[in-house]
Amino acid sequence: MAEMTSAGPAGLSRRQEEEAFYHEAALNATWTGTRLMIGILVSAIGCFIFAFFYLRSLNSHNDWYPAGFTGPKQWQGAVIMALIVVSALLQSAGLTQIKAGRRGAWLGAATVALVLGVVGGALQIWQLTVLPFQPGASGFASVFVGTQPVIIALVLGTMIWLEILLVRARGIPEISFVEQPPTFAEAADVQRFQASLSALTLFWNFVALTELVFWVLFYLIH
Amino acid sequence: MAIETEPGTTQHPGGGQPAGGAARRPWWMRPAIHTGLIGAVIGYAFGHWLGNLIASGYQQVGTSDQNDTAIVLGYLFMVIGWLAGLGVFNDLFKQMAGRRLAEAENGNGPGGLAQYFRFHLDHKVVGIQYLVGMIIYFCTAGLLAMGIRTELLSPVHHVFSSATYIEIVGEHGTMMMMLMTSVILGPFGNYLIPIMIGSKRVAYPRLEALSFWLTPAAFMILLSALLLGGFHMGWTGYPTLSIQDTSGADAYAFAFGLMGISMTLAGFNILVTVICYRAPGMRWSRLPMFVWGILGTAVMMALAAPVLSGGMYMLLTDRTVQTAFFTDQLGGSTYLWEDVFWFFGHPEVYILALPGFGIVCELLPVFTRKPLFGYKVAAAGMIGVTLLSFFVWQHHLFDSGINPDMRPLYMLTTEMISIPTGFIFLVGMGTLWKAKIRFTVPMLFCFAFFFNFLIGGISGVFNSDAPADVTEHGSFFVMAHFHYTIMGGLIFAFMGGCYYWLPKMMGIKLNEKLGYWHFWLMFLGFNSTFMPLFAVGWLGQPRRVFEYALRLQTLNDWVSISSYVLGFSILLFVINFVWSTVVTRVRETGNPWESRGLEWQIPSPPPAYNFEHVPVVLSGPYEYGSEGSEPVADLNPPVGVLAAAFSGSETARAEA
Amino acid sequence: MAAETQAATPAAKAGGPNHGLRIFLIWIVLALAADLVLWFVLGPHIPPGRLGSAAQGQQFDNNVMIAMSAPVLVLVLVYFTYAIVVWRRRPGDDADGPPLHGHSRIQALWITVTSVMVLSLAAFGTYELIVPYGAGGGEGPSPIWNPPGAELTAAAQQRPWAPGHVLVVQVIGQQWRFTYRYPGLGGFETTELVLPVNTMIQFDVTSIDVIHSFWAYQLGVKADANPGVDNVAYTKTQHLGRVTVRCAELCGLWHGAMFNYGKVVTVPQFQAWASSTSVALADVTKLLPPYSTTYDPTEIAHLGPVLQKLGLTGAGGGYYPPQDPSQP
Repeated sequence: MAEMTSAGPAGLSRRQEEEAFYHEAALNATWTGTRLMIGILVSAIGCFIFAFFYLRSLNSHNDWYPAGFTGPKQWQGAVIMALIVVSALLQSAGLTQIKAGRRGAWLGAATVALVLGVVGGALQIWQLTVLPFQPGASGFASVFVGTQPVIIALVLGTMIWLEILLVRARGIPEISFVEQPPTFAEAADVQRFQASLSALTLFWNFVALTELVFWVLFYLIH
Repeated sequence: MAIETEPGTTQHPGGGQPAGGAARRPWWMRPAIHTGLIGAVIGYAFGHWLGNLIASGYQQVGTSDQNDTAIVLGYLFMVIGWLAGLGVFNDLFKQMAGRRLAEAENGNGPGGLAQYFRFHLDHKVVGIQYLVGMIIYFCTAGLLAMGIRTELLSPVHHVFSSATYIEIVGEHGTMMMMLMTSVILGPFGNYLIPIMIGSKRVAYPRLEALSFWLTPAAFMILLSALLLGGFHMGWTGYPTLSIQDTSGADAYAFAFGLMGISMTLAGFNILVTVICYRAPGMRWSRLPMFVWGILGTAVMMALAAPVLSGGMYMLLTDRTVQTAFFTDQLGGSTYLWEDVFWFFGHPEVYILALPGFGIVCELLPVFTRKPLFGYKVAAAGMIGVTLLSFFVWQHHLFDSGINPDMRPLYMLTTEMISIPTGFIFLVGMGTLWKAKIRFTVPMLFCFAFFFNFLIGGISGVFNSDAPADVTEHGSFFVMAHFHYTIMGGLIFAFMGGCYYWLPKMMGIKLNEKLGYWHFWLMFLGFNSTFMPLFAVGWLGQPRRVFEYALRLQTLNDWVSISSYVLGFSILLFVINFVWSTVVTRVRETGNPWESRGLEWQIPSPPPAYNFEHVPVVLSGPYEYGSEGSEPVADLNPPVGVLAAAFSGSETARAEA
Repeated sequence: MAAETQAATPAAKAGGPNHGLRIFLIWIVLALAADLVLWFVLGPHIPPGRLGSAAQGQQFDNNVMIAMSAPVLVLVLVYFTYAIVVWRRRPGDDADGPPLHGHSRIQALWITVTSVMVLSLAAFGTYELIVPYGAGGGEGPSPIWNPPGAELTAAAQQRPWAPGHVLVVQVIGQQWRFTYRYPGLGGFETTELVLPVNTMIQFDVTSIDVIHSFWAYQLGVKADANPGVDNVAYTKTQHLGRVTVRCAELCGLWHGAMFNYGKVVTVPQFQAWASSTSVALADVTKLLPPYSTTYDPTEIAHLGPVLQKLGLTGAGGGYYPPQDPSQP
């Protein structure tokens, strides 16, 4: 974003000046908004984590995870979690590529990340249809069945965002990622794209972390 | 899920390109409320069909003859259809298809009355939409309260059946508690915050507009509970009662959860706007108190409302796919609900109080012609209330048997919250010192706010005391207490705000004579309604009963008759509102209150984009009485000032 | 309180009447008068009365808080009234008021005084909560503030009761009745609440359907009846009298009709009542599930006939079909 100063703020007309001002504000808003949204989602997801530990510690009628209860299949959980986490890592790696000016490398990594994410989400939906227990079979079963759709919505929602960025990246000439574009509008475009991409990467890593946390909760410690 | 649209990153603020092709189609082809309704009907039919397809074989459905899955899916797709019909998703799909968005977000759309029936991205339009919506919701819920009071005229003769009575109680409570959370943040927050901080726009106009358009959906869904047999568990929806209840409980949980999302989005947008879009010179120490109040509200909304939505979602899964979050014999616990619900529920009541604090702090300096006394104390009070509000929720559960040994802690935090609340009184009293009070209608409402909130606050100390709360909990005492804080605080402040800001928002002043009548009837009616209820509660009448002790009939009748006076005063307000804004339309374009607020330095109603140029704020908003104090802002700063401010912030960021 | 320094400082600087002193004087007279009237005239009549020790504690609590909050209330009201009368704009005066931005000593004093008041109230409330064994509120299944001789397990509760000991009364909430079970007196279950005087009572409150709240008004007891939870509350009966019992948590259609009356009687009367009731209900008692601190509605579905024999036509321990509520 340091390119902006090279244009020399003093030489801007009033309208350009205001555009630059609100452009700057929009970049800040993306940064702030993403972190705030993560806070909001921590609050929402915290509700389910709270339910997990609360019901687990209460264990009313010894029905949190009764003897003989069959949980979800270990391999399913591991595969889904791995898909999402790998997807997030790929996207993070891709981000360093595009920051270094290599759009193509990012496009490739992000496309794979998108596919992995969508497959991960789809697998979770499929897993819900083949569960070896009824939703109300135990406290654990309730929390599991209740939480999964929330995570699925998070994963697929983030994938829509990634898809939008993939499509948008096509409209930006590759050279713009390497050097300062000639016009203010183009420069602003690239900067907004980059801000959004950084935000997405952070967000996707947050979702992957959520997935990881719930994998630990549901498959390791239940 | 909302963030992926990233509106902030795809618009050119200040860009004045003409609206896209959509504007050229005939009106009935363009998305508006009618297409939304069509979408809702189609969506409901589809969702209901889908739910029947999925769940009609469930044993639960067979035995109870009610398919909650079909109803909940119906509501879900109804909301999706409603939003799709309004055109909410158009921009999302455009972005997914890689097309650029039209940049007609802020005042560039088609004007006139029609814009208020559209998914409109101008924060001023959204503010007016909220204002009208909130008045409608408030009056609906208020009418239900009249119904409650009518039933309570007699302990033995009944107007309603016990079922209808409980339905009315639940509808009244839920509608007020879920929709009135936005009664100030929605209209005044959305409309005025950007102007007060000197911004031409908000951070996320689409989310802001979405937050409004979810409210009519939530309102209609909540009302539709009556068609499904109502719900019989009050606004708190305690399981297992809410699990065994009729399908109306689906409507309750869905509407409340949906409103949770709306609150989250509204709070999110306001927060980011205030953090990122303040004009140059608008330091935190110059922020108007109203902005501080709304900021605190937004924090609570953004962090507490998601928990509400989560809890409502759990209730819905318990009722549809038969999870057992709240069923004790199957590994769940009703305590889980009580904790999750009140973790939201207590910040919620401060969501309902802080905007009122903000309004009175904003209005007092104007009508006392003095600076606000103790600006920092007031801001600290609001921040303190915001933070503490997350640590008090179990005082609703003193007698429930949850963590009984934690009661001293929650008693302490609850009583501590009266310290920052007391700051507002310090500020108010200090501001009145040697003032030149102008007794306008808004100022009268401010005085009433202090009177009511004083009683509400002091009775709150009684409730926070765990031993005394044993008697007061669940009685009319508590009911009177929170009506004093919410109705007496929030709604009085809202009314004050209406009289104060309508000249700004609509360019029209409300009739003053009717305003005085409205105020006095409302103030006297309100106190006459709720003051005796403290006694009624103390004398042993629990809430939500339709039969009570014969000896309490005199008090109850007094209350019921007063409540009709109160209702009539609200009717006067509505008449005044309609009369002044539709019939007489007395223009008021200047600064009738001689306020220093930034919002009053521009014409009324504000032009598109609020300001011709981004203003540079020069001094605080409450500098009354100081000789030669600077004007509040330079509305036409020389070229280069903005760039200097902006490059300064950029360097700071680069260094960071 | 806060008015005192307000009296001294800002007014002294300006000429004219000493507003602070005036307000202070009006306040101190009115506050004293209010406190005296409230404490001595109204105080003895403040709810919930003195039938139970918990109730008496709550009455004392209420009185202390009234005495503390009345001066605050009076201060604010006097100040506002004074401001409205004295500091109103005179016609034709369009000037602004003095530019006072704050006063650090008054602010500090206000914060200190309110903090001290609030913290002392919290300390007082904690004392009043712990010493009278939870002050009549529900304390969950294993209360940590319990009187000597409290019986916390089902086995201990079934040991025969003798006068002078803690009497365990199990309160079972169901739509829309409370029933009372006396484990120490043979374990019969009745719809009558009868208690001996001068006895520490332990209420074990539970529910077999939805959440109710057992509110014995004159005893100062309120405890939520949660399904699957034993919620314990204590009070000591102090003299003879009638007790109103109401449900204080919305529990469905007939929540408003969920009330009955109990009575506090002398110990011999209580013993006579207990033995005669025990005999009268012997055949019902045989059908009851064994005494336990909580009951599972799915396990006691056969309770229906029992409850009918007791004169109940309520839910009978099962979930009721909400479409057709039966009138109690």
